Amino acid sequence: MEELFAPPAYEWKRLSPKYRSMRQLTSLVIPPVLLTIPAVIVGVMSGRWWISGLIWAAAIVIVIVRLGFVTRSWRSWGYVERDDDLYITHGVMFRSLIAVPYGRMQLVEVESGPLERAFGLASVTLKTASPETGARIPGLTPEEATRLRDRLTELGEAHASGL
Amino acid sequence: MTASQPPQHTSTPDPVFTPPGPPRSPTDRSLKQTERPHPLTPFVRGWLIFVAIAIGWGREIVTSASEDQLDAGGWAWILPILAVVVVLAAVTGFVAWYFTRFVIDDEELRIETGWIFKKSTKIPFERLQSVDIIQPLAARMFGLAELRLDAGNSSTKLRYLSRGKASKLRDYLLTRAHGQQASVNDLDQQAAASTFTDLGTTDQPLVQVSPQRLILSFLLSSEWLIPSAITIIIFVATAAAGVVPFALGALIPLIIGMLTLIWRRVIGMFNFTLAESHRGLRITRGLTNLTSQSVPINRIQGVKTSQSLLWKPLGWYRVDVDILGYGHGDSEDNESHASSVLLPVATVDEVELAIGRVLPGFDLDDIELHPSPKRARWVRWFDFWTLRYGWDERTLITEQGWFTHERDVVPHAKTQSVRIEQGPLQRLLRLADVHVHTPRGPVNAVAHQLDEHTARELALSQLDRARAARSAERQRRTLETLRTDDHQGEAELLAAFSTGRDQLLGAGGESEVFAIDHERVLRLYRSRHEAPRRTAAQLHALYQFWAGHDIGLELPMILEMGERNGRFFTVDRRLSGRNFSGWLQHADMAERRPALISFLDATEQLQQLPSPVPSFARLIGEGAPQQFSTLVELLSSMLQGPLQSSRTQLEHDLPGVAEVWNRLHGELAQRSIVPAIVHGDVCPPNAYLSQSPQGPVVTGIADFSPHTVHADPLMDVAGALIFLELEPYADAAADAAWLEAVAVERHGREIVRWIDVYRRFYGFYFSNAYAFDPHLYAWCLRQLGR
Repeated sequence: MEELFAPPAYEWKRLSPKYRSMRQLTSLVIPPVLLTIPAVIVGVMSGRWWISGLIWAAAIVIVIVRLGFVTRSWRSWGYVERDDDLYITHGVMFRSLIAVPYGRMQLVEVESGPLERAFGLASVTLKTASPETGARIPGLTPEEATRLRDRLTELGEAHASGL
Repeated sequence: MTASQPPQHTSTPDPVFTPPGPPRSPTDRSLKQTERPHPLTPFVRGWLIFVAIAIGWGREIVTSASEDQLDAGGWAWILPILAVVVVLAAVTGFVAWYFTRFVIDDEELRIETGWIFKKSTKIPFERLQSVDIIQPLAARMFGLAELRLDAGNSSTKLRYLSRGKASKLRDYLLTRAHGQQASVNDLDQQAAASTFTDLGTTDQPLVQVSPQRLILSFLLSSEWLIPSAITIIIFVATAAAGVVPFALGALIPLIIGMLTLIWRRVIGMFNFTLAESHRGLRITRGLTNLTSQSVPINRIQGVKTSQSLLWKPLGWYRVDVDILGYGHGDSEDNESHASSVLLPVATVDEVELAIGRVLPGFDLDDIELHPSPKRARWVRWFDFWTLRYGWDERTLITEQGWFTHERDVVPHAKTQSVRIEQGPLQRLLRLADVHVHTPRGPVNAVAHQLDEHTARELALSQLDRARAARSAERQRRTLETLRTDDHQGEAELLAAFSTGRDQLLGAGGESEVFAIDHERVLRLYRSRHEAPRRTAAQLHALYQFWAGHDIGLELPMILEMGERNGRFFTVDRRLSGRNFSGWLQHADMAERRPALISFLDATEQLQQLPSPVPSFARLIGEGAPQQFSTLVELLSSMLQGPLQSSRTQLEHDLPGVAEVWNRLHGELAQRSIVPAIVHGDVCPPNAYLSQSPQGPVVTGIADFSPHTVHADPLMDVAGALIFLELEPYADAAADAAWLEAVAVERHGREIVRWIDVYRRFYGFYFSNAYAFDPHLYAWCLRQLGR
């Protein structure tokens, strides 16, 4: 099973543990916050606060399930720079492995949103002429993201080929 | 671009005192006449706005008419507003027209627009990727057309021009875009294209779709049948319940969608013609709006053929292509010229014809297609039996679908990235999908529901194939550039020696040889040759050195050398007789065999030539004569250059290559001989044959080269036998085997082993041919694999 998504003769590089912390935080906060709004509305409108209680209970269940998945999801991510291409794997239920030849990269982007910055994280996205490529590596330390970007740009130039 | 411009005058006359010259002769840029588009342009543009308003207004009246309140007087207030809008539109149109100027001449393509914010767009001819002509209905009524120029990612419009002019300029621009020289004035003689189809007399229609077939195919297509069925079901169901008005919310969008579909697939594709002109493929289509679009073959990234279920009995297919840069927005939009449709409906033969044109040299029929495993039915219960994939060394094909059968073809060189996907259900069944990504467009190659191991194997090997294809493509492009370089200044040089392309006697990797007269030939070194002057000088010295020795063979002689138009050439003595290679192809066996024996004799005669140095040496090339103390050192040095470029390719194509290499080294180290002159490339194309009383005999050997060394005399004997296999006549291999037996009889059994060693040596030595000569490279691989 595992070998379907393993890189040939290389070890996966994993994401920063801070990415797991960030995902744990979002999993913990977002569902209760989102579900509180309908819960309060239902409670105020109908006066039947037990329905609100059910909604909150659902929120807690979602949080538990998601927390359970966060570590697995974090562990499922991996990337490796090979001689000619970059491999990225991720996914727990729906698994995928993508390989992007350096010669096909058109653009390498480093992004970091406010939350990611707060956790000291950044993500790297590779773009090719194909919109389906969608090669994104989240949860990297800024140093690793910059290193990866520079490395990929360099490799992309070395392997550059027209379309 | 600038290089082709004529020199500027050093003292430019004051423009004020210069009468406006003829449209194109001025050398001064400031005097260049710019043109405005056709004067009717503002009317056409204004007319479009007017029509839009009229339609909007008409719709208002119609809706209110249903409310039984049609009263013309009530609408009078709208007329002044309408008048203002029309006037404004006309003024805007006029201003836009007035401030648009363009130049399309022998030097440049420049378009200037804007009143307050001026914009000047200059497009280098070679950057032009396509030039299309679009005629909206209004423009068409006035005989006008829009020219749309695509360069890189930007599209520039020039509207409107008279139709004739637009198509003339299109032809001119496409000629220039192909890197050929032409003059705008030359185009006046060309026949005008027909108004209805925009096909010039020089265009050869490949496929024409008749209106009957187009309409029938449309009515039978899944895209039409599904919404029609849904509409009818909803209508019938709601009518039965008597609640039609409630369903309008769903029905109206459906009907609008269906009308759009008719607009695109029928009106937009009406009179669809795929034609071939000397400028490539061209599509013309449209009932109201006539679009004429060129198909840039080098930008095609993939091909998709699809077949609706009801098309199957009729044998019809639709063909779409991924064209780089065409995927933005709606690919089928009529207003945007960029359509990905190659054929809206076509028979198998027409599809094959069209695909043969857009993917030249691809043999799709021979690709073996593999079905997905049976257990795929648990996931794709609705069409598991249609899932197929297959590949050869150039393309990947995937098939899927039952209601609409789709077949995606992606050339390996166009593969962007590869993805393996697996969902939870697929994991249970040990299945996975492999996606091969291409640039934006209709082609979407996915090998569905493969066995896990097959999927991984396919994905990883696809990356290798894509890499190999990319590097081959790169090589091809470099060679193409070199080839065009080679033709520069060539015609003039050939003319100076009163010869021409038709006098070409032979061509090799380093030079081409043209006949001047019976005594002399012109040898034109390729412009990529690193040091033609040095090579020629060294050859000259070597031929001089040999001049006093009669070995019973005619050898070449350099009479003159020089450089002209940036090309280095020598004038050589022409060897008597005819080329052995050409003769072999037509001779019968009884004639061939004695001649081949004389060929073998010639290789032995060559060994009698004296060497300028006593030790093993390379006689031509940098630092020549470069001496070596052993044979193996000399031969390793010869292999170094070719292997540097072919090493990766060899490792890829021949996994055990390192072992072959080590073995060759070991064997060569055991060889002990006294060195002799080795031509290094004694193949029939380098030999000349004359008639003697005993029949045809090889009387001359030409083309000494950097392959020429002072080394093992057996090398030429081996070369004569093994290069014979490369000759393009039917019995070449049999003759080579026969000649080998003759040689073994002469030199003894032990040479069999050394012939084999030199087979491998030459296999390595010519392996850099992978970049330019696949036939020779395949031969090399065969030698190395023995």
